[in-house]
Parts: sequence; structure tokens; C-alpha cells
Amino acid sequence: MLRVQGLNKTFGRRRVLSDVSFSVGTGEVLGLIGPNGAGKTTVLECIAGLLPSDSGRIIYRDRPLSLNRRKEAFFYLPDGILPWAQQTVKWVLTFFEKLYSRTPETLAALTAPLRLEEVARSRVATLSKGERKRVLLALGLLTPHPLLLLDEPFDGLDLRQTRDVMSLLRSESATGRTLFVSIHQLVDAEKVCDRLVLLNDGERVAEGTLSELRAQANLKDGGLEEIFLALT
Amino acid sequence: MRSLSFVRLLAKELRELFASRAFWLLLLFVGLLAGHGFITAVGLYAEMSGSGGPAALPQGLNSLDGVLVPTWGAYDLAATLLFPFVAIRVISSEKESGALKLLLQLPGTLVSKVTAKATVLLFAWIISWVPGVVAIVLWRAYGGHVYAPETLNLLLGHLLRGLLSGGLAVAAAAIAESAASAAIITLAFTVGTWALDFVAAGRGGFVQQLASYTPTAALRSFEQGLLRWNAIVVFVLLSCAAFGVAVIWLNTGQSNKSRLLRTLLLLVVMAGAVWLAAGLRASWDLSENRRNSFSAADEATLQGIDQPLKITIFLSPEDPRLTDFEQNVLRKLRRSVSKVEVDYAASSRTGLFEGAEEHYGEIWYELGGQKIVDRSTIEEVVLEQIYKLAGVNAPERSSDDGFPGYPLAAQPKHAAAIFYIFWPLLVIAMWWLSRKV
Repeated sequence: MLRVQGLNKTFGRRRVLSDVSFSVGTGEVLGLIGPNGAGKTTVLECIAGLLPSDSGRIIYRDRPLSLNRRKEAFFYLPDGILPWAQQTVKWVLTFFEKLYSRTPETLAALTAPLRLEEVARSRVATLSKGERKRVLLALGLLTPHPLLLLDEPFDGLDLRQTRDVMSLLRSESATGRTLFVSIHQLVDAEKVCDRLVLLNDGERVAEGTLSELRAQANLKDGGLEEIFLALT
Repeated sequence: MRSLSFVRLLAKELRELFASRAFWLLLLFVGLLAGHGFITAVGLYAEMSGSGGPAALPQGLNSLDGVLVPTWGAYDLAATLLFPFVAIRVISSEKESGALKLLLQLPGTLVSKVTAKATVLLFAWIISWVPGVVAIVLWRAYGGHVYAPETLNLLLGHLLRGLLSGGLAVAAAAIAESAASAAIITLAFTVGTWALDFVAAGRGGFVQQLASYTPTAALRSFEQGLLRWNAIVVFVLLSCAAFGVAVIWLNTGQSNKSRLLRTLLLLVVMAGAVWLAAGLRASWDLSENRRNSFSAADEATLQGIDQPLKITIFLSPEDPRLTDFEQNVLRKLRRSVSKVEVDYAASSRTGLFEGAEEHYGEIWYELGGQKIVDRSTIEEVVLEQIYKLAGVNAPERSSDDGFPGYPLAAQPKHAAAIFYIFWPLLVIAMWWLSRKV
């Protein structure tokens, strides 16, 4: 569905991404994993067209995708933002619902598992970190794009909420929607992703399913943590 | 579908405007400023209209100079020091909160998103006019005279002033990383235009022409009842350029180099358009007392002179005689004679040390190879000289200029209560209500 080829990015003299290439298949959940500062957010923002890359190509459904057309192909949900802080949660959600001509049922199907009814009348600015994250996830899932780029979707969520969101993402994927998620917590990534791209110091270290990565790392068993340590 | 998206974006911008404290503070302070200007102006107007002063003074009084311009002067101040903060917030709050990353991905082009912001800013500016309009209504209620064409022209000037001010602030907010930096850029631009006004006074040439399009100078012509086609077009072009710069810099997917090049290209194209627009000569004197025009008979005679008229002025920029000459003669001549070239020949700024120079104080007129010199800045005397050079007879002038003057010794009844108590309470109540919706 999406192929990223030779993505390079520097900030001043600092090289942040170095020839990053990978692909995302239709309907899969692809995880972009790596430690803090590995360049995960930069990859997502370059793909979304919010940050200029120095070089590289984004190929969507076998055709190069220009900067202007990226927002038609996919939607990127950033981490750590506080959109329209003075508005109520209900208004922000309804704004997206109407803007993308979604039905009230679609919105209702998201507010229940994300437990947003209890904060519907609150202003976005007054929400806790976890509540903000759930509102952002609802905004992302309200968009109709076939590919969704999510930056740290579990950051700020407690254990129970993380499980609920994982379940929601899996059910979204089951409808045929493709998810590309950046996650720094390897345990969460292992549970939710079909395939993984390992990023370290701006370089793609490996790509594949958990068992494929295990083979690349010459490990017979072990989780993502062991694989990551072996490969980096 | 596209228009529906635009309407939804517009509704979002409107909600964000009402959530902005800067907007409510603008409303609060502009009411106090306009109220103070109005109360002071009505009091002074009453003093000048009363007995005791020169008899001719009341006959020359008009509401535009006496009440409307001082009252609406609050909006010049607001457009300089208050409204830019409302405009900066429209961009900076979304940049700083990260909402811009979502906005850029929403349906619609970046142009339509900035257009929605510009539309809401214009709405905010017009809403802030309520105290100024209330002042006009009060003035009418006191029995004051309001001449619609010159009043509407004044409002048009303030509309364009607000549009430009908002555009510049939005452009600064789009370029700068933070709201504070955007505020500094906006204020630096304003101070720069003030400096240009000061430097250009009495200089002539390109600098003076450039300075005639600074926000303050362009607004001044509207305040004098003059509707200049070139001022309108230049105001609109500069505002569009400012919003265009905002569109370029909000496109974060482009590199800084690319955005800089696009900005330079836009500015070059816009500079060319402004240069062409500056050549538009059409203007209309909408003042009731026709302060920007010679008498109809003189205008008809002057329009018959098709040779270029060159005027060389040996008066320094700070000499009050030059100000008199500019306001009483040159401004009208430029509108009446097709080709006027003015040369400001004084060598110093103050003229204090030019007493020894033999030409200081002289004004030379040159037409068809003939020259004549005079020292007068009085309209009738200057016209006599020009007619003499052109070899035409001075037309018969009517002794009655048709302007009766509108003296009025009224007290600003209820104005203090309206502007200092009712208006602030109303703004606070509206702000509180907006938070509940």
C-alpha cells in the first residue's frame, strides 16, 4: 500500500534519518519501534508532508505521492499536542465528525470504548494526559482515510486503557484499515503489531514479523526487547 | 462539499475567536478609548461652538474633524496596538498547541484555511466598531450633523486599516516561532512606517510617494474625506500579500529555502502591482466642505492647462508654511492639474539655519518655459500666479462656498455611562456567556 524509499533528513548538521526504506501492506498494523530520539516522529511527519525531507520517495498504491495529495491518502495523528484547548471535547469530536461527514453512530462507537462520555463537557485544556490521548485517538479514528499514522498511541494510558485501545486498533484493522504506529514501549508493540520496523539513530535496522526479526537476530526465542538489543 | 468544509472551518475559527481573551480585551479597551475620544471631542466642539471665540470659528466647524475623526482615532490606536494581538493569536495558538498539524491535514486548501481566518478577523474588527458606531448615533441624538459620504469614507479607511494590520500580524505569526516574536515583528513594522512618515515629510520623490501608502498616511486621506482609488487598491494588495505570505509559511512541508524563494517572488510581483496601482489617479472628494478641491470654476480652468507645471519649494520639512502649502494648495493641485512635478529644494530639515540662503521661503512655478516666484501659501494667490503663467483669466468665484458650518454646543449626555460602565459590563457578560456555550 505504501512504500517509503531512501528517506533522508538533517536538522542543520545533524543527520536524523539516513536512507530509511520500508513498506506497509494493506490492512496490516505496522509498528515503528525504536528508542527515544531514534527518529520515529520525524519519519511520520516526513511521510505526512508536515516536515520537508531532504530526499526520498513516498509511493502510495504504486504511484509517487506528491506533497499536496498526501492528506487525501492518509491521516497523521501527532503525539503530545493539545488542539483547540479552550473548546469542549464534545465540540472537537463533533467538528471532526461533521467535517468528514461521519455519522453520529460512528462517533458513538468510539466514545464508548475510549470512555469519552465522562469528559465530553470538559475543555480540552483541563484533561489529563491519558484523557487527551484518548480524545486524539478518537479524532484519528473519525477520519475516513484508509491509512492512519499514529505517533505513540499508548503514551499516557494506564494498563487497562492500553488494552482497550489495542483492542480498538485491532478491530479497526480488521475492517481493512491500515495502521502505521510508532511505539517506544516494545512490550506494547509486540502485542499489537503484525510487522515491525526497527529504527535506531535514524537508520532502519530491520523489518519483518516478530519471528522474522528473531531469525535476523539469530535468536531462537525471546521478545522484542532481546531482538532489539541483539540487532542494535 | 468544499463550501461545506469552508463553512465548518469558518465556524471553528469563530469559536476560537470567542475563546480568545485578546478579542474580548480588544472590545473592552476599544470601547473605553472610543468613549474617551468621543466625550473629549464633543466637549471641545461645544467650546468652539460657543460665544467668545472668533466669529468665523463656529462657521467652519464640521463633525468629521471635530468629532468623528477624534473618536475613531481610537481605532487607529487599536489597529496598531490591540488588533494585531488578536490576529497573532489566530495563528500562534494553533502553532504552539500543535493543532496546526491537524489543521493542515483537514479538507480544503491552505488558501481556504487562511481565508477562513482572514474572514473571521475582519468580522472581529467590524464587531469592535460597535462603540464607534454608538458614538455616531449619540452625536446624531445630540443634534449633531453627520454627512454620510465622508462618514462612510472614514469607515472604509478604518476597514482597510484593520485588514492590513490583521494581515501583517498573521504573516508575522506564520513566520515567527512564537507569539512573542510575532508581536515584535509586527510592532517593528509599525515603528518602521512611522519612521518612514517622519523621514519622508517634505522630501518629495520616491520616498514621499512610498510614505503616502504607510497605514497612517493612507488612513489620513480617508480622514480628510478623500477617497483615493490608488490608496484602496494598494491597501488591498498589501493585505493580500500579507495573507499570501502567511499561506507560504504555514506550509510546513516545504523547506525554509523554498518558502523564502516563494515569499520573495510574491513580494516582487506584489511590488510591481503596487507600483502600477500607485499610478491610478482617480480620487473623489467626499468631504462636505470640499476641503480637497478648489472651487468648481477653478478646477475647470486648471483642467484646461495641459502643460506640465513644475513647482520648486524652498521650505524645509518642519516649516509650518510647507504644511500649509501641502494641505491648502498642493493636495488640491495634484487632483486638478494632470501633470504636476514638485521639487523640495530646501537643504536642511528645520530651516532654522537657512535664513542666509537667498531663496529660502520662495516657491517657484514653471509652466511652458516661463517662471514666476512667490512666497505666499494662500490658495487664491497661488492660483493667480499659475493663471498668469498659463495666460488664462482667473474665473469668477462665488463668495459663498456653500458650506454653512455646524456649530453645536452639546454636552455628551449619557456617554460616560455608556462607554465606561455599560460597555465594559456588556463585554464581560458576553465573554462569560461565550464560555458557557
